[in-house]
Amino acid sequence: MPGPMIGRRTALAASLALPFIRPAFAQQAEPYVMGSLFPMSGPNAEFGEAFTRGAQVAIAHINADNMLRRPVRLQSEDSQALPQPSVIGMNKLINIDRASWVLSSWTATAKAIAPIGDRAKTIMVNGGGVGPDLSGLSPYFWNVIALAHLEVRAIVPFLVNQRNVKRVALIYVDDPLGDAILGQLREQLPLHGATLVGSYSVPRAAQQFGSVVARVRQSRPDAIYIASFGAQQAQIVKGLRDNGVTQIICSFSGFGLDGIRTLPEAEGALFTTQKLDFASSDPITKRFADDFQARFGQAPVTYHANYYNAAYLFGLLARQVEQAGGEVNGETMRAAMLATRKFNLVGGEGEFDELGNMLTQLQVNEIRGQRVIAVG
Amino acid sequence: MTAFLINLATLAAISGILASTLNFIVGYAGIFSVAHAVFFGLGAYGGAQVALLLVPNPFLACLVAAVIAGGLSLCLALPALRVRGEYFVAASLGLQMVAATLFAELKPLTGGIGGLVGIPRPELFGMVVPVLPLALVALALILWATARLQRGAFGRTLQSIRDADTAAEALGKNVNAAKTLAVAFACAGAGIAGALYALHLSFINVESFTLDQSIQIMAMVIIGGAGTLWGPLVGAVMLLSLPAVISFIPFIPPTEVGAVQQIIYGSAMTLLMIFRPAGLLGDMSKGKSTS
Repeated sequence: MPGPMIGRRTALAASLALPFIRPAFAQQAEPYVMGSLFPMSGPNAEFGEAFTRGAQVAIAHINADNMLRRPVRLQSEDSQALPQPSVIGMNKLINIDRASWVLSSWTATAKAIAPIGDRAKTIMVNGGGVGPDLSGLSPYFWNVIALAHLEVRAIVPFLVNQRNVKRVALIYVDDPLGDAILGQLREQLPLHGATLVGSYSVPRAAQQFGSVVARVRQSRPDAIYIASFGAQQAQIVKGLRDNGVTQIICSFSGFGLDGIRTLPEAEGALFTTQKLDFASSDPITKRFADDFQARFGQAPVTYHANYYNAAYLFGLLARQVEQAGGEVNGETMRAAMLATRKFNLVGGEGEFDELGNMLTQLQVNEIRGQRVIAVG
Repeated sequence: MTAFLINLATLAAISGILASTLNFIVGYAGIFSVAHAVFFGLGAYGGAQVALLLVPNPFLACLVAAVIAGGLSLCLALPALRVRGEYFVAASLGLQMVAATLFAELKPLTGGIGGLVGIPRPELFGMVVPVLPLALVALALILWATARLQRGAFGRTLQSIRDADTAAEALGKNVNAAKTLAVAFACAGAGIAGALYALHLSFINVESFTLDQSIQIMAMVIIGGAGTLWGPLVGAVMLLSLPAVISFIPFIPPTEVGAVQQIIYGSAMTLLMIFRPAGLLGDMSKGKSTS
């Protein structure tokens, strides 16, 4: 006798109901939901994966330490680094998942979600985008990464004093990040006795740089600063080296990814990040570095630490709110942040200004033998 | 849940306008444009500037957007009069590339790659109004106008041009005027969609008006059923809501969420085209391979 048969319509109905089963489980455990809106597909997916890993370690620590009365769950949405998917994802995180804390990256995503988060009083934390226009997007939009104009101020004296650089050429994407770096190089280089000998704008989607490299060579620079983002950075580095440019290549914290570190052509490249010594004895930094290595089998880089800090900050603020007997939401956590300002995070103490920007010390790194070494 | 669905419905209505207007030139006139996002963008920037500089009145924003996009549709109509088929696809591709570059470079008007932020929400009589009802009204009007035009002499002229433009001309049809008017109508509609998009998101930049967006709109038309009234709308709703539905699948690891969703999404589209080659609402006798 044949057993009960499941018809196609029943199977279809069951599959359609599947998405709604999860909230029932969620209500049982009632975790705090932390959202993430990163590019998880497409050419920038490498960034999204790196950002997520940092946040995962932080959430594991928050839960393991029982920092909060309720566990924390990470809900990831794919922003594709585009405005429309970001808006859809943000609306889901706020209205369906009830996230009061959302990790974000990318300028387009940040600007698209800022009005939504602002209206819903949801904290949005950026640890990847470095365009200066990301400061002050909303009282609820914070940055745990030094913005680009500060990074230029850190690398220029190093180039001039330590590497005897007098002539710098800039290859940049003509966006707020590139504009800010161009403006800073124009201002900072003369202050240290160096000059900007050329600035060459490239379209964001460009993949061939032969003509730009030829013009860079003509300007006879001692160093070439690259202000691009994502996969294009590696293509520019490769384009320069393949065309015989042997001068110093330098950039901002966007270089802090495995895709650049493991690129043979990037050997000797210099880039700035906030000051981080993963070998330090600081207990938070050491725990993060050890657990990250154990969990993912790789040494952490700056982006991992940034999003660890971005996620761990939720634990610190929510605990503060819980201990004061308040309800954990964007408003109460913002009030707690403004009241406290200084937090012990990976890399040491981080201090926030009234706009929600974290102020940190910066360091210059060099890629040597596929390793990132702090050199200044 | 309500706010999430309202946001999705708003974007679906805006996408529905885009797909329906593109369908008007692709499905009825046989003009295969891959530059529809250009006119979407023109309308968005026009509407956003009205809201930022003058007043966030949605009707004024839509009017200005329609005039700008409809007026500049000559950029698309001119090559459409001279070439057809795959040659026009190449011409519209060129237009798309030029426009995307201009959107990125004309910073005083478009904000460059950084875009325009802080676009005020639409207001009527001093009150903030949601975009959804406005988008639904605009969509209904465009569908109504499409249906009227399609059933009338103008629609028959367009379909005769699509099937054999030389024959249509030989029979005394003014092919150039018909093509120009069809393109102007479609582009003005895309402009209205752009203005509503800008008012809804409060932020726009060039990344919403690239070739990828044009292809996405074309996919909505093809998947829904080109040359049908309701097909593009169904295609728009499906392409927009499917990724949102997939995002509810609970067991995907956070670091794999994008890849898994894209695989499911792409597979669903491929299967759909295998089993419904003429689109969801298209004529089943069309589209299948005869080999």
